[in-house]
Order: sequence, then C-alpha cells, then structure tokens
Amino acid sequence: MKNLTGLLVVAMLVAACTKKDAGQTADVQAQGEAKLTNNELKIGISQEFENFNPLIASMLATTYMQRMVNRTLVVIDADGKWVPQLAKSIPSIENGTAKVIKVGGKEKLQATWELLDNAVWGDGTPVVCDDFALAVKIASSPNVGVGEKEVYTQVEKIELVDKNPKKCLFTYDKAKWDFYMMGTFYPLPKALEEAVFKKHGTQKEGYEKNSLYSKDPTNVGLFNGPYLISEIQLGDHVTFVPNPKFYGEQAKIKKIIVKLIPNTGTLEANLRSGTIDLISTLGLALDQALAFEKKIKSEGLGYQVLFQPSTVYEHIDLNLDNAFLKDVRVRKALNFAINKEDLTNALFEGKQQPAIHSITPRDPWFTADPAKVTIYKYNKREAERLLDEAGWKPGADGIRVKDGKRLSFTVMTTAGNKTRELVQVYLQNQWKQVGIEVNAKNEPARVFFGETTKKRAFDSMALFAWVSSPENTPKSTFSSKNIPTAKNGWSGQNYMGWSNAAVDKTLEALDTEMKNEKRIEMVHEVLKAYTDEVPVLPLYYRSDVAVIPNQLKGYRLTGHQFPETNVVELWNLE
Amino acid sequence: MTTYILRRILQTLMVIVILSYVCFSLMTLMPGDPIELMISANPKITQEDVVRLRAFYGLDQPTYVRYFNWVSEIAKGDLGYSRTYRIPVTEMMGPSLKATFVLSMGSLLFAIMVGIPLGIYCALKPNSKMDYLVNIFNFGGISIPSFFLGIVLIIIFSVGLGWLPAGGYQTTGMHYNNIFEELLDKAKYLILPILSLSVQSIGRFSRFSRSAMVEAMRNDFIRTARAKGMSEQVVIWKHGFRNALIPLITIVAISFSSVFSGALITESLFAYPGVGRLIYTSIIGNDFNVAMISFIISIAMVLLMNLVADLLYGAADPRISYK
Amino acid sequence: MSETVNTPPSAAELKSIETSQTFFQIVYTQFKEHKAAVFGAYLIVFFMLVAILAPVIEYATGTDSDSQNVFNRYKPPFSKIIAPQDAREQAIQNFVRQNPEEAAKIQTSLLEKNLVQPVRPEDALYDWVNLEEAKAIETIKAIDTGKKAELVKMVHNFKSFHLFGTDELGRDVLMRLVYGTRVSIGVGVLVAIASALIGLIIGSLAGYYGGVIDTVLMRVTDSLLSLPILPVLVVIAAIDLKKVLGGLVSVAESLFGATGGNLAQEMVNNIFSGGKESIYKLVFILCLFSWMTVARLIRGSILSLREREFILASKTLGATDLTIIVRHMFPNVVAPLLVSVTLGVGDSILFEAALSYLGLGIQPPMPSWGNMLFNAQELIYQAPFLAVLPGILIFLVVVSFNFLGDGLQDAIDPKTVRR
Repeated sequence: MKNLTGLLVVAMLVAACTKKDAGQTADVQAQGEAKLTNNELKIGISQEFENFNPLIASMLATTYMQRMVNRTLVVIDADGKWVPQLAKSIPSIENGTAKVIKVGGKEKLQATWELLDNAVWGDGTPVVCDDFALAVKIASSPNVGVGEKEVYTQVEKIELVDKNPKKCLFTYDKAKWDFYMMGTFYPLPKALEEAVFKKHGTQKEGYEKNSLYSKDPTNVGLFNGPYLISEIQLGDHVTFVPNPKFYGEQAKIKKIIVKLIPNTGTLEANLRSGTIDLISTLGLALDQALAFEKKIKSEGLGYQVLFQPSTVYEHIDLNLDNAFLKDVRVRKALNFAINKEDLTNALFEGKQQPAIHSITPRDPWFTADPAKVTIYKYNKREAERLLDEAGWKPGADGIRVKDGKRLSFTVMTTAGNKTRELVQVYLQNQWKQVGIEVNAKNEPARVFFGETTKKRAFDSMALFAWVSSPENTPKSTFSSKNIPTAKNGWSGQNYMGWSNAAVDKTLEALDTEMKNEKRIEMVHEVLKAYTDEVPVLPLYYRSDVAVIPNQLKGYRLTGHQFPETNVVELWNLE
Repeated sequence: MTTYILRRILQTLMVIVILSYVCFSLMTLMPGDPIELMISANPKITQEDVVRLRAFYGLDQPTYVRYFNWVSEIAKGDLGYSRTYRIPVTEMMGPSLKATFVLSMGSLLFAIMVGIPLGIYCALKPNSKMDYLVNIFNFGGISIPSFFLGIVLIIIFSVGLGWLPAGGYQTTGMHYNNIFEELLDKAKYLILPILSLSVQSIGRFSRFSRSAMVEAMRNDFIRTARAKGMSEQVVIWKHGFRNALIPLITIVAISFSSVFSGALITESLFAYPGVGRLIYTSIIGNDFNVAMISFIISIAMVLLMNLVADLLYGAADPRISYK
Repeated sequence: MSETVNTPPSAAELKSIETSQTFFQIVYTQFKEHKAAVFGAYLIVFFMLVAILAPVIEYATGTDSDSQNVFNRYKPPFSKIIAPQDAREQAIQNFVRQNPEEAAKIQTSLLEKNLVQPVRPEDALYDWVNLEEAKAIETIKAIDTGKKAELVKMVHNFKSFHLFGTDELGRDVLMRLVYGTRVSIGVGVLVAIASALIGLIIGSLAGYYGGVIDTVLMRVTDSLLSLPILPVLVVIAAIDLKKVLGGLVSVAESLFGATGGNLAQEMVNNIFSGGKESIYKLVFILCLFSWMTVARLIRGSILSLREREFILASKTLGATDLTIIVRHMFPNVVAPLLVSVTLGVGDSILFEAALSYLGLGIQPPMPSWGNMLFNAQELIYQAPFLAVLPGILIFLVVVSFNFLGDGLQDAIDPKTVRR
C-alpha cells in the first residue's frame, strides 16, 4: 500500500508540472511554427564544440560558430567565389598588388593586403596588420599546438606599407599561385593577447591555457565579426548578441543561441517542440532530412529543408597491390557494374549526385565533358565482357573464377555509418550480379583511418570520403610520392598505391602555375589519367542539409568549408 | 572488522593503480589518435603537422613514460587540463559530474522504490494475474532499448502533447527569481530522462526481488514463524525480506558500475550535459586527462560499492563473517 | 483436485509413488506444471528451429532474403511490389543462356510482329521483360513458342508479396527476421550458457573458499565490471586476428614442416573466409563481459550458505568440497542465477547490435534483430513497423527465457521439491 501512495504522489507531481508547462510550451510551439521574431533564433547542432581561439579551435562546430564572431581577409561565398572580408580587395599579380620576387635564388611572393578602414574589434580597437603579425608569431611558436600551422607560417613577414597600420605587405615563403586563399588566417587582437603570449608563451601549452579565449571567452575585444559571445557553456550552448561596432551591415537577429543536441534522431523532435528553431548543416543525416521533408509536405509544417551539393566526395579506394586489381579491366568492370544513377535516385532521392571523379561540381575545376574525362555509364554487359576478356569465367555458384581462384574482394568502411553500410550492401548486390563476390568488413572510424587506410592494410577496397575545398590540388592523394610506406612513416594519402609519372609531373608543375586557364588544363589532364586507369571507384558527391523556418530570409548553404554563418548578419526573420 | 575494511581499502587502491595503468595503455593502444584523424577531415593538414602535433602533446613517447608523468602530475594535486577544451579538468568535469549524479541517483532511487516493492508484491502472490501483468511489463522494460524508449517518450510528451521539454537541463537563458523556480524548471527537464533511464532497472530489480522473495518465503522458518502466530507483516519483512536481501544488495551495488555508461545514451538523447557524454568524447578525442579521471572515479565507485555490498551481506545475514 | 482425493490410487500410481524418482524426473514433472515456462520452452525451441531451417523457409516461400529493390523501400506490411529492372534482365539473361535457340526465335518473332521497338535488335527480349505485367503477357501470348508457359510464369514471379513489408533496401523484412533469428538466438543462448558456467565457477570458488582465492577472483571481477568498455572494444576491433594466428601458423610450420604449415594456413584462411573474423571477436567479447553479475550473485549467496547447518553437517559426514558445492550449494543458488542469466539474454541481443556500430558484430548484409532494431531508430516516423517487428521478437525471446527461468527455479529449488 505504501508504495502505491508513493506512486500516486509522483504521478500528481508529474501532472502538476506538466499542466503548468503546457501553456508555456504551447506558446513556444506557436512561435516555432509561425511567430518567430528577430528577438531570438535557436540553432541546433549535433556536434561538440570547444573554446573559440581561432588559432587552436579545430572542431567543425566551432568553425561553424567562429564565422559569426570572427572574420578573415577573404572567404569563399555561397557561389563558390573568393571574396574579400576584412580586406578591401584581393591582391593579384595582374593588377600589380602582388609580385614574385627572388631572394637568394629562391622564388617568393609579396602581396599587399589593405584592411577595411572601419574594421574594429568589439571593444573599438581597430583591426590592424599587427594583429595578423601576432597570429603568425604565436602560431610559429613551438609551445603552441596549432592545427593548420602552415596557413600562418607560409607568411614569413608582415610589414606596413607607407606606415599605414591598415596596409600590410605579406611576404610568402613560396611563390604559389594560391597565396590569396587565406580563408582560415585569422587575426588575433594584439591589445589583449600579446600580453598573454609574452607571459605564458615560453611554457608548453601555456598560451592556449591562459588565452583570454579560454579564460574570459565573452570578452568583446576578442571578436570582430557581426556577433559577440554573451555566454558560452561547453557541452550545451553558446549565446550570441550583435556586435554594435561591426564594420558591415548590422545583424538583425537580436539573439542567436546555438544549442548542442547530440543525438540526430531527436533533432526533429526538438525542432517541433520549439527547443530549437533551425537545424544547421551539422545536424541531420540525409536520410532523416528526406523523411522530414515528406512530413513537412504532408503535415503542412512551416519549415523547409535545404539541400546543397558539397565538396565531399564518397569513393572506394582500390588497393592496386591486390593481384586481381592489378588488371585494369577488372577495375573498369567494377566501375561499369555499379549503377550510380539508381543508387543516388533510390537511396538519396536524387539529392546527391553520382560522382565521376574526385573534383566535385562545386569546384571551378570540375568537368563532366566526355572529351576530357572518361565516363563510366552503368553497363552490366560491358562489365561482363571485360571480365570475360580478363579470363574470369562464371563458376558453379555464379562467382567468376580464374586458375581456381574466386573473384572475391573485401570492401571495408567505417562501422556505424548507416549510409555507407547501405551503399556497401547495394554495391555488393550489384557486383554479385556480374559474378564478383564482395564481402564486408567494417571497423570503427578510428581503426579504419588510423590503421587500415593509413597503412594501406585493406586488402582490396576501402569506402570513405575525402573532404575537399574548391581548387585544392589533389597532390596528396594522387602523387606517387604520397604512397604511404613504412619507410616514409606512413605519410601521404595515396592509399591506392597509384603511380603515374606523367601525373606526378603535372601535379608538381601545378603548384607554381600562375595562369588560371593553364591550371585547369593541367587538372583535366590529371583527371583523364585518373578516370582512365581507375585507381578509385567514384561513388557520389555528398550534399549538406539544413532545416530552416519558412520565414527566415538571407540564409544560403555554401557546400564548402566556409559555412552559411559567413553571412549571418543578413539573416532576417521578419 | 576494522582490519578487514582497511585491508579492502588497500586492495581497492592497488586495483585502482593497476587498472588505471591498464586503461592508460588501452587509450594509447587505440589506433588513430585524433590528430591523425584530422587529415581525413581537412585537406590542408599535412603529415608534418601531424608529426609535429603528436610530438607536441607527447603522444610519441612510450606509454609507461607518459603514465608516469601523468601520475606525478596527479600526485602534485594537479588534475591537468582537458586537451580538447583547454580548460582545467576540475572546471570541466565538476558541473557535469553533478548533473549526471542527479540523473543517475534519481533514476536509481526511483527504480529501487518502484522495482523492489513490485517484485515483493508479485512474490507474495506468485502466478497470479497481477504477477503476470507486472512480469510482462518488466520484460517489456528490459527488451526496449533505452534510446527507443527515449525517442518514444519525446514524441509523446514533447512533440505530441507538448507537456515536457524534449531536451536540455534547464530553459536556456532563463533567469530564476528564487530557488524554488529554479528547482521546478530543472525538475521538468529531468522527468523524461529519469523515466527512460529507470524503466530497465525497474524491470531488473523487480525480477530479482521477486525471485529472491519467492525463494525466501519457501523456507521452513517462514512456516514456523507463521505457525507461531506472528503477524503476516512481521513474517514478510523480518523473516522473508531479510533473507532475500543478499542478491538484492549485490544487484544494486553492481548497478553502480553502469552509472556513467548507462547515462551516456540518455544524456545524448535528451541533450543533457552530463559526464557520460563528456567521457565518451574524451575517449574518442584521446583527451587523456579527462578520460583517466573519469575512469578512476568509476573504478573507485564500483570497488567501493562492492565493498559496501560485502559489508551489508554481514548485516543482512549475521552468519557471514569476514576474518 | 478434491474429487481425486477420495479415489484410492491404482496399482500403477502406487508404484510410481513408491519408487523413488531421480532428481531430473522430479525437476521435469515439476517443470511441466508451470504453464508459462512450458510455453517459453516451446517458443525457444520454435525460434531455434526457425534459425536452423532459415534456408528451407527461404526456399519454401520463394523469397530471396538478399534480393534488393531500392525503388520500393519502406513498403508497409502486406505490400505487393514488382521486381526491379535489374532482376528482370537477369532473369531474361538466364533464360537466354539456358535456351539460346528458343530465345533467338522469340526475339525474331517479337521484332517481326513489331511488338517491341528496341534500339538494338538483340535487346528485344530485354525490352519485352520491362513491359508492364499485363502487356508483357499479352505480347508473349501473341507469339508462337514452346516456352510460353515458362515466360508467363517468369513475369508472374516478378510480383512479390511482402507480409511484413520491405526494409531500407527494399528487401523482404520477414526473410530478414527469419535469418536474424540465427544471430540473435545464437547470441542469446551462447551468453546464457557462458555467463552461467563462468559465473557459477568463479562465484562458487570465491564464495566457498574465501580468503586469497576470494580476494583475487573478486578483484578480477570488479576490474572487469569497472573497465571502460569503449576503449577495450576499439582495441579489440583493431586486433588483426590473421596476424595473431599467422604467428601460430609459423609455429606449426617449424613443428611439422611445410605441410603442417600449409595445413594450418589453410585452416586460418578457412576460419576467416567470408568475414567470419568479426564473429569470433563477437563471441569472445560476449563471453568476456557477461559473467560478472552472475559470479557476484553466486558468491553472495554462497557466503551465506556455507555457514548453514546442513553444510556443516555434510562436512562432518566427510563430503568432499566438490560434492558440497555441486550437490548442496548449487540447487540453493539457482534462484538468483536463473534470473540473472535469463535477463542477460535480452541484454546480449541488444549488446550485439551495439557492437556492430564498432564493426565487432556481424557484418552487413547479415541481419540480426538487434541491428534491424538499431537501424530503424531514425525511421521511427517513416517506417515504424521496421522497429516494432524486431522489437516484438526480442520481447518474446526475453519473455520465453524468463518464464523458462521461473519454471526451472520452481522445479529445481530443493525447498519446493515434493517427494
């Protein structure tokens, strides 16, 4: 009896709480569906974030939010073009703002970057060349753990031009054509951070532990973007308020809360119950987005799902050391036997595009011209013809055999990635139809990337993605110098073991080619070899997805590493 | 008795030291530290960057050297910094430990308070209709994975009825006028997580208490007690329940071993900033300082609870003695 | 019952009462009285039969468990769907291979009568097979061929009925559940046996002997209970069994020469063919992490039992430790043992699915109830039946094992034995 009364009390408590709540959430819900105002926007992300020091932060979710509070010299916009942000314009050799110089027989490059006159930090201090110089200085220190160090250390020197603190002469250590791509080169506020570095920079990790970004993360002087951080709670949420001193257009939304919802399965529920108003690109999986889009239509919800092809390339690396895969006819047959159109249409409802090579359609270097690259259209009979030609004849159980050996491969991928596992099974089935047996063997991402692909320990096929950025040289994955071996300490990402002397040479020359048309030509030459020799089976290009309320204006997905928060000041709910 | 406890505490300390070394080695044995994984996510990171960063964080040194360094830091009273978040471990883990403690203890208490009485009730009327009903409910609770139950609860109570929030631990950006308001707001966020976390334990506790109680009530001394004309309440609680206690003590003590890992799913499902998730990210991110401290806390807790269980055995059955 | 009281027992009954029954006979007769337990036992036998007979069921129903139909994903139960183009062309290709002459004849008449308009003449049959069902049958009826019946049957077979609908690749859910029984029941039974055996041995040794044995065994148990499982699993996932066994192969080679080495190599290759490696790892992990609760429960109960009078009595009578533990203690610890073991069955079925997230479970496309359930979690709105069906099966298994446990407890517990 006693426990029954206890239960009753609990039940009553629950009822009491919920009743009071019902009114509140109902309001929120009404707001969520129709009455969102510029007073507040709550964004859901599903990935962890860290502190905001732009030199050190490396998590995707931090990069996503970083763009709301910090700006760089240049950035790629939603159309895929490089545009200036803190800089007035992009220096170039053609208009004389950049030039190649020779220092001691070595070619270097100098470029003049002029900063926006009204670019200031949140406390009113102007953003000047010295802020960039400080970033280079701190990044170069051996006591600081910077991820992409080369972004900073490629700049050897920063000098003032005409003693103008906003006109900077950058000297780069190499004369590379892509010197202006400084989208992740952030300035640090000298007024605040220099003292910290002086005091703690001599200790290992001293700077990152004591940086104001860690100690006083809401200090307005740390940020120069359209928003400032007003509250940060690691593992839960970050609150942003507009920066009144921002150089550009004033932000319209008065408060943005980015909330961490770690389970993507509950993002939708959180959206519909009003905990969040928008699901960012770091949220839903494509499958979930497709399902939610249908529900929006059938239930008439006030949201829309945005799909944006991105620079992520899903593919299967073939281990060219495998005895069966050494034969190019087998590789071609593998490629002909997979119906990528059906795959993308059926599993992704056409929202992700079939891939033809490693360069994504978001990239100016992309081409689908059959004259320039070889295109493998699904053709089962062609695949069978090639296999017959290579001497693989169908055996008793339908799997082809040659010299008593079965045509059998193992495709490995990251375990727990549902989409990849689906694609894997789909492909297994298609290859089976032409008499190729393919078994699955999946591993945790850490083992797969940290051991199996890195040391080329996969026996025949590895299914994964490369995250690329527009106009990024494929040297690290194509050049035979980058085949990982024990000798070179397993460095390089040519996991296929692909070696083509002409490609190696072209890739070397590409780095220093200053003419755009010539570069495109060279890249297409490389792609021709890549599609001819099939060291890799291209599968599809991934898309980014986001769910936004219908009334939100000015929100555009970019599909590359500079997320939509680049133009957060243009977002408008009214 | 005192020497026994002292000896056990000494053993516990030894096990903690050994296990912490095992954990440390396990962490280093996991292939692909996150620095290497950065390559696959970022084309701009070069192999030189990886080598440099590995050396920078001392990841290239042998395990025992790093373990020793770590232990000497701990001995100095410095728990160190979280490598991922770059703030002191204490600052990082304090609030989330508290949050998880509230969640886990809340659901454990709830499960004990509901599960054990339910089990005893069934044991007194074995194979009755009520017994079958409760059992079926228990089996349901055990068969439903907690993530599913969580999602279903969210769909019903948050999306459908709009009664309870879908996730979080308090209303973001809310200012409380008084402590009562704060408690009420936070309690609202706790109801669904506690419910989804405790359903399985309710099933477990009630199954164990039912079976232990059924067995205890079959003893001859129960018949004797009844024959002596003792009241049914006295028979059930003083004679029956006391003899059913040993398996119950064991099972409650063991349930502490999954306090962190069990909370992980619930925490991520309900976006609850607890330590389970923190531990998970620290393991995945090779954040040694955070991961090791959490391992030690959970190891110590399991060992301690098992020590408490052993002592309680003696209290439940005075015949058991430790020399 | 009351009616039988007055009737005197017959001679046969008397005999059965008077002759002493063996322990197992007693257990069996008492077990039979527990209706729910008997039901549970039958259900488990049924699932085991399904697991063993899965290929037979597949053959009998004519549904291929692996055949995909990606344009018909997530079809609700009781759906009829049409085979995809791939499968149809495959069927025609097989037909052409088996009857090349007849196929050529049909092809020419198809073209002559202008029933199909293919781009290339040799595609005529392939074009025909892609026609709508009614149209295709009508067309083939217009042609004079001996294989008419076979072709009509082929077209009919393109339509398949799915009692439980289709999954994320358009595969038949029923057949996947049938095949999933193999892994899930296998895992359940394995864990039940392993945890009972290991737990019983460790727990009784520690509880009975106490002292150093108790300390060592229980600290090992505590360690395994508190070991963080995630890094352990990642490390196990990274271990390359082939390499480990490769070492053994070279040992064999040095011992037995080249033939022995080859034989060992062959065995290793056999063991790992078709991605079986992860299954061995799965079994190892399940055995390693399943017994601690049982061991602690048994130890706790034995600690109390060993101080009881009847144990003292048998000791004074000179019974060996083994006899005391097995004959006198085991029947008395059966209650917590059975509850723990039977509860573990449900846990392990779900644990298996969680492991496949680390690549340690079974590998795709092999189904298990657990991974079917896990995969459905994000589709709970879109295709709820995908989650509900495996969920119900897991529930049934949990219920059966637990009722079976209850029945066994009642039957084995010496305090309930009515002789």
